[in-house]
Amino acid sequence: MRARDLLYETWQALTANRGRSMLTILGIVIGIAAVISMTALIGGIQNTIVSSLGLNQSREIYISVSAGRSVTEGDLERIRLSVPGYELVTGTVSGTSTITQGKKSANASITGVDQGYFTTSSIKLAHGRFFSDAEMKAGGMVAIIDQNAVKDLFGDADVQVVGKTVKLGNDEYSIVGVSESSGFSMGSYETVYLPRKTATSRIIGSDASISQIIGYAKPNVDAEALAASTKTFLVSYFNVPADKADDEVTVMSMQSMVDQFNTVMSAFSLIMGAVAGISLLVGGIGIMNMMLTNVTERIREIGLRKALGARSADITRQFLLESIALCVCGGLLGILVGYLGAWGLALIVRAMRPSLASMSPAISPAAVLTAVGISVAIGVVFGYSPARRAARLDPVESLHYQ
Amino acid sequence: MVNVIEVHDLHRIYESGAGLTHALRGVSLTVERGEFIAIMGPSGSGKSTLMNILGCLDTPTSGSYRLEGLDISRLGDDDLAEIRATRLGFVFQSFNLLPRATVMRNVMLPLLYSDCPVREREPRAVKALSSVSLPVEYFDHRSNELSGGQMQRVAIARALVNDPAVVLADEPTGNLDSATGQMVLETFERLRDEGKTIVLITHDPTVASWADRTMHIRDGHILTDEQEREAVAASETHGRGTT
Ligand SMILES: Nc1ncnc2c1ncn2[C@@H]1O[C@H](COP(=O)(O)OP(=O)(O)O)[C@@H](O)[C@H]1O
Ligand SMILES: [Mg+2]
Repeated sequence: MRARDLLYETWQALTANRGRSMLTILGIVIGIAAVISMTALIGGIQNTIVSSLGLNQSREIYISVSAGRSVTEGDLERIRLSVPGYELVTGTVSGTSTITQGKKSANASITGVDQGYFTTSSIKLAHGRFFSDAEMKAGGMVAIIDQNAVKDLFGDADVQVVGKTVKLGNDEYSIVGVSESSGFSMGSYETVYLPRKTATSRIIGSDASISQIIGYAKPNVDAEALAASTKTFLVSYFNVPADKADDEVTVMSMQSMVDQFNTVMSAFSLIMGAVAGISLLVGGIGIMNMMLTNVTERIREIGLRKALGARSADITRQFLLESIALCVCGGLLGILVGYLGAWGLALIVRAMRPSLASMSPAISPAAVLTAVGISVAIGVVFGYSPARRAARLDPVESLHYQ
Repeated sequence: MVNVIEVHDLHRIYESGAGLTHALRGVSLTVERGEFIAIMGPSGSGKSTLMNILGCLDTPTSGSYRLEGLDISRLGDDDLAEIRATRLGFVFQSFNLLPRATVMRNVMLPLLYSDCPVREREPRAVKALSSVSLPVEYFDHRSNELSGGQMQRVAIARALVNDPAVVLADEPTGNLDSATGQMVLETFERLRDEGKTIVLITHDPTVASWADRTMHIRDGHILTDEQEREAVAASETHGRGTT
């Protein structure tokens, strides 16, 4: 039997049973749609975050030390002098407070920053300006808040808030700038930046330890290598025992953070894959059930085809191809539904996270090929035994089957 | 004369839960090219069993069968399928057409299994349909839109499309009223005039009378001429007795 004839017969059989075919492939559609929408969404988020980081951010190195004593500006100076390769080393203090605007109030995560901070970090301004040197030195009552905070406190992310005031605790601060929300900040705290001096004197306490150090590598310095030499220096500088080195001194380049994020995302994809796998298994069993019914209903047709000269192999191929075609239809529909679903989810994510406002689902050719491959495999695995059953039917008995 | 069918001492024993059924008990017959023969016998006499073996759908328990000189009893399943595709045409009592398919597609169905080039299919189907005198306007009708007599003529066209050595028909008029049945039998007669070899199975003497030669089968035996005369005479006296 020719391939062309086989395809035509398959087409005829599937369209004859259109309603039932659609119902049967539902499980496959759902399974494939789950795989596609989740991978497309995760891929889209990854793309957005990685592209928002840009080139400069690959020069950042995040350092934190919990060596049992405060980290001071003096310690930062020692890093600048002792570890070659940094253009800037800045330190931040952090604490929490309550932010109030009119009748609305919320928890705020306060970051006290110094001069270098906005150069090195990935924070970008949407409106207004960064703190001036004078404000930094004098500990001025000025604040920068992010777009999420604007939305939560003023009702809408687009309200012009530069020049307006907010309260932290009992003190009033004037807003000088609005930063774009970072893709990483996912807590329920509002993001607020203050000059470091203001933060320590007003909120956190002047003996506060510098909790986060951000180094900015010189151009053409290998950030990974610099991170490693920084760690070695800090371990000996703070006299950290070797067995606690990893717990108490953390030095991470931006690149390694992105890698870590990707690892978390792949674990998530794996879980979604398992869920999809179960619905594909259920879908496959549905296909097998439909094919068995199909064979029983068409016993006379099978007997006739054999009488007219079909070999067992022709019958096997015909029913196997029907099962594969069903599954591939389900797979293609699943890809479509999954892509639309990914867009739906993307729109929700966009509305919730202004930082991801330009995020669009990334559907990869590899994911599409995998989905089609999985569909074919399900068709073969679950269609084989019904097809063999059809092929083994005795022509005389099947011709007279009622 | 060339013998298309040569059968010698055929036995067929069915094994089933109920035990053994000896359905054919030493059947021998020959059919010449261009002959129209009828095999007649009461229900359960072994007609369908013989037909299935002649049609290569079943193999005998013992005995020999040569179709156009080829020894069938030595062939495997795939070779038998090829013989069915190329040398045999079947006509069934219940037509066995694909109901949703058009007349043309039904007639072309055997060509899928006989390696017929695609461009030859339609001309061959048209030729087969015209030899059973089905009007052209029905060619693209679905087969379930036809009358019984038209359906059986489509089925005969399907049996002819591969230009087989023998057309085998098992009770082809069994599901038709006598007028349409007669039309189908006229079709067979015309095919015989064109040189086709036809084996027709029936339990009905009027149907059998259309054939050139009738063989009677009882309990798995072909009757000799003498047994046949006795059987016919017995059924006539029996017939008179009951009326
Ligand atoms: N598949 C089968 N299994 C067992 N016995 C069968 C089978 N087919 C036919 N028979 C038996 O063989 C005998 C001949 O049957 P069959 O050839 O169908 O006769 P006919 O067609 O003349 O009515 C009957 O007794 C029937 O019961
Ligand atoms: Mg019978």
